[in-house]
Amino acid sequence: MKRTVEEINAKIGKGDAVVMTAEEVVELVKKEGVEKATREVDVVTTGTFGAMCSSGAFLNFGHSDPPIKMQKVWLNDVPAYGGLAAVDAYIGATELGENGKKNYGGAHVIEELVAGKAVKLKATSYGTDCYPRRSIETFVSLKSMNQAYLFNPRNLYQNYAVATNSSDRTLFTYMGKLLPNCKNASYSSAGQLSPLLKDPKLRTIGVGTRIFVGGAQGYVSWEGTQYKTNVPMKNGVPSASARTLAVIGDMKQMSPDYVRGIYMHNYGATLAIGIGVPIPVLDEDVMKNCGMGDDQLFAPVVDYALASRNRKPLQEVSYADLRSGQFMLKGKKCRTSPLSSYHKARQVAEELKRQIAEKEFFLTQMVQSMPEERAMKPLDVHTREEVE
Amino acid sequence: MSVSRYMLYFSPDLINEPITYRMVKDFDLMINILRAEIDDTGGRLIISFEGSPSQIKSALKYLTDNKVQIQELNEYVRKDAEKCTDCGACISICPVSAFVVEKPSWKIVFLSDKCIACGMCMDACPTGAMKQG
Repeated sequence: MKRTVEEINAKIGKGDAVVMTAEEVVELVKKEGVEKATREVDVVTTGTFGAMCSSGAFLNFGHSDPPIKMQKVWLNDVPAYGGLAAVDAYIGATELGENGKKNYGGAHVIEELVAGKAVKLKATSYGTDCYPRRSIETFVSLKSMNQAYLFNPRNLYQNYAVATNSSDRTLFTYMGKLLPNCKNASYSSAGQLSPLLKDPKLRTIGVGTRIFVGGAQGYVSWEGTQYKTNVPMKNGVPSASARTLAVIGDMKQMSPDYVRGIYMHNYGATLAIGIGVPIPVLDEDVMKNCGMGDDQLFAPVVDYALASRNRKPLQEVSYADLRSGQFMLKGKKCRTSPLSSYHKARQVAEELKRQIAEKEFFLTQMVQSMPEERAMKPLDVHTREEVE
Repeated sequence: MSVSRYMLYFSPDLINEPITYRMVKDFDLMINILRAEIDDTGGRLIISFEGSPSQIKSALKYLTDNKVQIQELNEYVRKDAEKCTDCGACISICPVSAFVVEKPSWKIVFLSDKCIACGMCMDACPTGAMKQG
């Protein structure tokens, strides 16, 4: 049984495509087997909603009169990067505000913009013959700006560590609040709904793949930063953090339901975003992977008390155990907290399913596939000669 | 029999009074001290009373008469449904399991009657949805 993206799109066009969420196909494969599920289903929709730090937005404000070449830029007192053309800027999700509100950052500016609110723009410049103005203070919104798009260099991690803390004090990390003596653990992947876990070698996902980004139709633009393939595998799926994707999407089409600024106490700001990827069921191999349930997907438990890149996992744990609320760690009960919302991940997968079923969303053939092999390099202190 | 949780505030001059002893001896309440703190501004006691409604009522009157400030704990922390994204970061932090995952929706439900006002969820919530009421 084989089918192509063109055939699937033709079925979507006729309203005949059978679309199921990744959660639904896990049940279907368990009940009917891979072969029958492959015949029955054309598209599997995946979804996740969680913190993705490497996110940010390119903005173009339009020109003032007299014009200004914005050198330093702030949005609601959060610095944005202005080292681009005169009125372009990039605001990063984790940039913190300079107004004393330590729990407000670039991610919150992005959330407010997506919600349709106005934000205060302040910019300064040294002034040039062609751009004489030296400062400006005004308000901007998605309505007033020319372009505003999220361009996130690393989203959609294929699996991620489960964080715990063996020390005798509470730690505040990007993985949330970790109680002393491994009393709790937090995990961030949506497991059986998570996009890249359902297509472990990225057979169907590449540059140009149309995806759901924050409520808009966006695209996979490149491999994500820290993309790597040399990781441990279990059941044919990475059992540690592996591939990532760079994604792009128009903020003007996004919804505040799927784009939220969050703040991890004593760590910093980051962006929670809902992303969904449709997987075309090309053959049984694709369906076999889509059918993997939380009991077949595993993540490494990592001790965040050791702030070193060389820390080794304490053990592996299945997403089924994580989702049950507790698991046994070193012979003791460890309670679990998800950091990504399964409720919202499901909402993303359901919404993408609806859009495909109602002919609003068509699949794309990728323009280029992602790297088959990639190792992640560390950063060490080198001489110039050593790295040239 | 009913169980109620209260936060009691004592001024410094009341610290030497055996208040909890009176609760047991005079009002026949089963008490459970969930948290106690004393500093230079006075004392704070988070306490659970188990007894008949009339016994609890009389005990509360005794406390008020002795100038102990009382706050019922159900209102101590509240969840802002607009801000909550149903992630679940709070679940494993709460010492009394006052947060539960509602199945099959996977929405996070806050059971305020279980809350002992420790406040540990407040800085664990990434969206700032858990607030002092």
